[in-house]
Formats: sequence, structure tokens, C-alpha cells
Amino acid sequence: MLRYVIRRLLLIIPTMFFVALITFSLAHAAPGSPFDRNANRPMSQETIDRINRYYGVDKPIPEQFVTYMGNLLRGDLGLSFTRQRPVVDIIGQGIGTTFQLGLGALVFALAFSIPLGIISALKQNTLVDYSSMLVATIGTTIPSFVIAIFLIYIFGVNLNLLPFVGWGSWQHMVMPMFVLGLGAGAFLTRITRASMLEAIRQDYVRTARSKGLRERTVIVGHALKNALIPVATIIGPATAGLITGSFIIETLFNVPGMGRLYIISILARDYPVIMGTTLLYAFLIMMANLTVDILYGVLDPRIKVR
Amino acid sequence: MATAATAQQQQRAGEMNVIARKQRSLWGDAFYRLIRNRAALVGLIVIAFAALTAIFADFDLLGIRIKLAPYDPLAQNGPKQLMEPIWTKFFGSKFTDPAYIFGSDELGRDILSRLMYSSRVSLIIGLVPVSIVLAIGLSVGMLAGYVGGVVDDVLMRITDVVYAFPDLLFVIIIVATLRGTPLGDAYNGLLVIFVGIAVVNWVGVARLVRGQVLSVKHREFVEAGPGRIMRTHIFPNILAPIIVTVAFAIPGAMLTESILSYLGIGIRPPTPTWGVMINEGFIVFSTSAWPVLLPSMCISIVLLAFTFVGDGLRDALDPRSKM
Repeated sequence: MLRYVIRRLLLIIPTMFFVALITFSLAHAAPGSPFDRNANRPMSQETIDRINRYYGVDKPIPEQFVTYMGNLLRGDLGLSFTRQRPVVDIIGQGIGTTFQLGLGALVFALAFSIPLGIISALKQNTLVDYSSMLVATIGTTIPSFVIAIFLIYIFGVNLNLLPFVGWGSWQHMVMPMFVLGLGAGAFLTRITRASMLEAIRQDYVRTARSKGLRERTVIVGHALKNALIPVATIIGPATAGLITGSFIIETLFNVPGMGRLYIISILARDYPVIMGTTLLYAFLIMMANLTVDILYGVLDPRIKVR
Repeated sequence: MATAATAQQQQRAGEMNVIARKQRSLWGDAFYRLIRNRAALVGLIVIAFAALTAIFADFDLLGIRIKLAPYDPLAQNGPKQLMEPIWTKFFGSKFTDPAYIFGSDELGRDILSRLMYSSRVSLIIGLVPVSIVLAIGLSVGMLAGYVGGVVDDVLMRITDVVYAFPDLLFVIIIVATLRGTPLGDAYNGLLVIFVGIAVVNWVGVARLVRGQVLSVKHREFVEAGPGRIMRTHIFPNILAPIIVTVAFAIPGAMLTESILSYLGIGIRPPTPTWGVMINEGFIVFSTSAWPVLLPSMCISIVLLAFTFVGDGLRDALDPRSKM
């Protein structure tokens, strides 16, 4: 087990290196720099040279990459092109909000999806099952920003119940968390239902029942315990979904988090910020997947980790 | 159609106590199961309707000219800004105009015409990148699965790296960094979206094909004879999961385009797409929601239709998978 964890942790290093290499190459393949695009205030060549030297973008690209990677190891992500501040500071400012939003969405998703999935499975082919599957299909199919638009229209504009711009009070958090959690939760509902359906048909459940255990003990203690293992593995991809979802939701609701920062940086061609956030996102997703894989091995002794 | 032959067949079946059924091929059987599925059938009809609208919004080929779109989607009409759809008249709206069935947007452009032209972009986005993805994924996956060795190793390393990126993040980086280059600006940003979707998604198809090839490679029917193995034996066996993947890849590509355009890094305005319409309409959302609500509904309906068809196809092609 320990060897497996170490091997997986070591594998993160080359993957991160390639992620950095690809993003860096793409960013530098793009023509021009953010400084020579201002048509209203044309800069002299001298000024441009000085700025390029200040940010270190006058050097050959391979050398820049080596410098960047060296700084990265020391936790320095460089300076933002558009806001004269270190990228680490800018990310640090938004990351708390994004975590708050993501965590809230994840808790909401788990809170409704697991009970709903279990009930659907236990009452298979009833109205309850059909309606929860319909909700799950809608939640997985209709894009989050479209659902957000409908919600803003109903609760924000027409009923005037919830604010839909900004962040801070709990009223601000309701809609973004709901929308972000809905997609992940809908997916989890489907998985929980399928997994539970399989579990209640297993021999050990029949044994438990024939021993004369109470129905509740059979479902919760025997079926559910095993049914939740595949569900746990989906939380990794679901986290990745929450991260990419946060770009859209934060932009839509004007939440000052990392996702919105990312989109703003992309529109402004602020490459140091783009690089920094991309690396952080890739790292978070790899860690989420690793955690889930380890958890899988712990939860299910039948799985032999290599 | 009760001909003498089928009647006889039924009689014989009755004697043998089995249900008589017209003979169908494997694919015919799957198609029958698909259209028996009501949700999938509705999905197919919706998709056909959307495709016809896209094609005949402005059709001019071989002297045949059909123009369903009432207006030029880019034509602005200053005095007729933000007209509401005609049905709102029954709810007391004073800002309707019978000339604009679905109303007009903040620049006085006809929403109906823009929706129709948008479905064209969606159709193209659904077909072109997915074809590219399929072509690359199939050839690389088959090669890796069948040849194995170094080709396989290299592929698996590449997939590991691409998998570490969330799909959307990767597409955003590609599309965003290529903006301003000739590639990025070609066809108002359409071409670079093709590239982005293809680069990110071929890996998934290649992985799927590789796995399928590996799983059928050692079965008896493949061992039977060398030569043309790939085409005549392996390919038909891996076709079903690939069809299902494609059925979900098409709406996936459409969704990617609409997200990118909504975020302002996809197709450039004024070219109408549903994502662009939402992006542009959001400025006036509190005043008039229709320029945003209508394209949102179009996206929802089309994506749901594709999901129904995809689910139906999965059930139809692999009856065992149905619980």
C-alpha cells in the first residue's frame, strides 16, 4: 500500500512537468505580449524593451522555461502582467472563496444525491424512481450556466428573493452552490442508484435477510455499505467537474474566486496568472484522484492495489 | 402485413411454442429497439427538426432556394429594439411586434432568425470535430491495441498527461492562447474550437478503441485467420461502444462551444450561436430576459434530445447492459 502511494505521488512530478511544458509552450506560441496591444497609448520601443526585461520575457523561451520551473520549485509563480503583484498573492486572494463555493456545492451534492439514489433503487420502477431519474437526467444534461440563467430569472429577477451578483452573505451563496452542486449531484444520484440496485441483489444481502435481521439493518449495514464504494470513486471526477464548473459559475454570478480570475486573466492574456492557476488546478485534480484511489483500496479489501 | 408465408410461419411457431418473429439482422434489431424507446424517438425527431432548421435557414443549392429565416440574423433595426415575443401580448406586454415572432434583441436583431442560424453553428460543431476525433482516435487506438509495444506505451503516457487536465480547462487554454493568430481568427474562431475539441477528445476514443481491441484480440474468431483481421473481425465488434461514444460526443462538442462562446472566448460576435446570444443578451438580462432565455431553451432541448438518443442507443446496442 505504502509503495503504491509513493509510486503514485512520484508519478505526479512528470505529469506536472508536462502540464507546465504544454501550457508554457502554448502561452508563448501566441504572438505579441499584453504590452504591445494598447492602441491608445503607443509605447516607445525603449519602454517595451524595459518592460520585457523587467518581466524576463526578453530571454530565449527555453531559458525562460528553466527559470520559471526553478522559481516554481521555490513557490514563486512570477509577477502578474496586468496587476503589478505576485501571482501567488492573487491566487491566494481568490482561493478561499473558490474552496468555500466548491465545498458547499460538494456537500449539497452528496446530501441530496445519496438519499435520492438509495430511495430510487429501493423503489425501483415506481413514480419516485422515475421522477428522481428525470431530475438526474436534467441535472447531468442541461449545462450549469443555463440552469443558472433560469434560476436567476425566477428567483433573482422576477421574485426578487436572492441576489445574483457578488459574494458574502448566505443569500449570495445559495444559487451558485445549488447550481454547481446540481450537476455533480445528478451524476452521483445515477451512480448511487445503479450501485445500490446491484448490491441489494447480492447473496450476502439475501443471507442477512434470511438471518432475520431487521430490514433497516439489512439496507444500511449490509447493502449500503457496499453500494457506496463505487460512489466514493466518483467523487474524484466530480471534484474535477466542480473545479471546471467554478469558471462558469463564478463568472456568471460575479463571485471573486479563482475561476473568475482565470477567465479574466485569459481575456487579458495575463500568462503568469494563467500558468499559475492551470498548474494549481491540475495539481488539485491529480490529488483528488489519488485520494480517491487510495480510499478505494481502503474501503474495498477485494481491490488489490499494485 | 399478413401474407401466406408469415401466417404459415406463425402456425408452425405456435406448434413449436415459440413466438414467431420476422428475421432481422443484428443492426436491424438494434434499430428496432431504438425507435421502440419513446424518449429516444422523441430525441431523434427533435434532432431531425433542428438539423432541418439549420440546413434550410438559408438554403441555396442547384438553383433551389429555401429561406426559412425571416430576416438577416445580423440586420439591426434601431427603433425595434428589445421587442418581446408575440405570445407575451396575452400577458399584457406592450412591446410586441407581429413581425418579430420571438422578439428582437438589444440591437433590434430578429431573435428567431438568430436562433435558426445558431443551430447551423451547433450542427457544424457537432459533426466536424467529432469526425476528426473519431478518425484520429480510431486509427491510433487500433494501432496501439493491435501492434502494442512502443506505440502502446507512448499512447498511454500521452493519455496520462491529457487526463490530468480537466477537459474544459485544456480547451480553454488552447482556444485562448491561439486567439489573435491566423488559426485562432479563422472563421470567427470556429476553426480553433475544432482544434481544441479534437486535441482534447481523441485521447478518450483512442483509449476506448485500444481497450476494445485488446479485449477481442485473443478471442477465437480473431485467431481463426490472419489478414484483414482488423477490418473484418475486430472493427465490427468494437463498433457498438464507438457509436454510443459518438452519440455522446456530439452534444459534448456543442456544449463546449456554447460554454466558450458564453465566456467570450468562443465564436466571435456578431456571428450568432446560442452561446454568443446568451453572452450578448446578458447585458440587458434584468430589463428583458428573452434574448437570453430563448437560446438557453434551445440548448437545453437539443442537449436533452441527444442524451435521450444516446441512452437509447446504449440500451439498444447492448441489451445485456440494461438492468
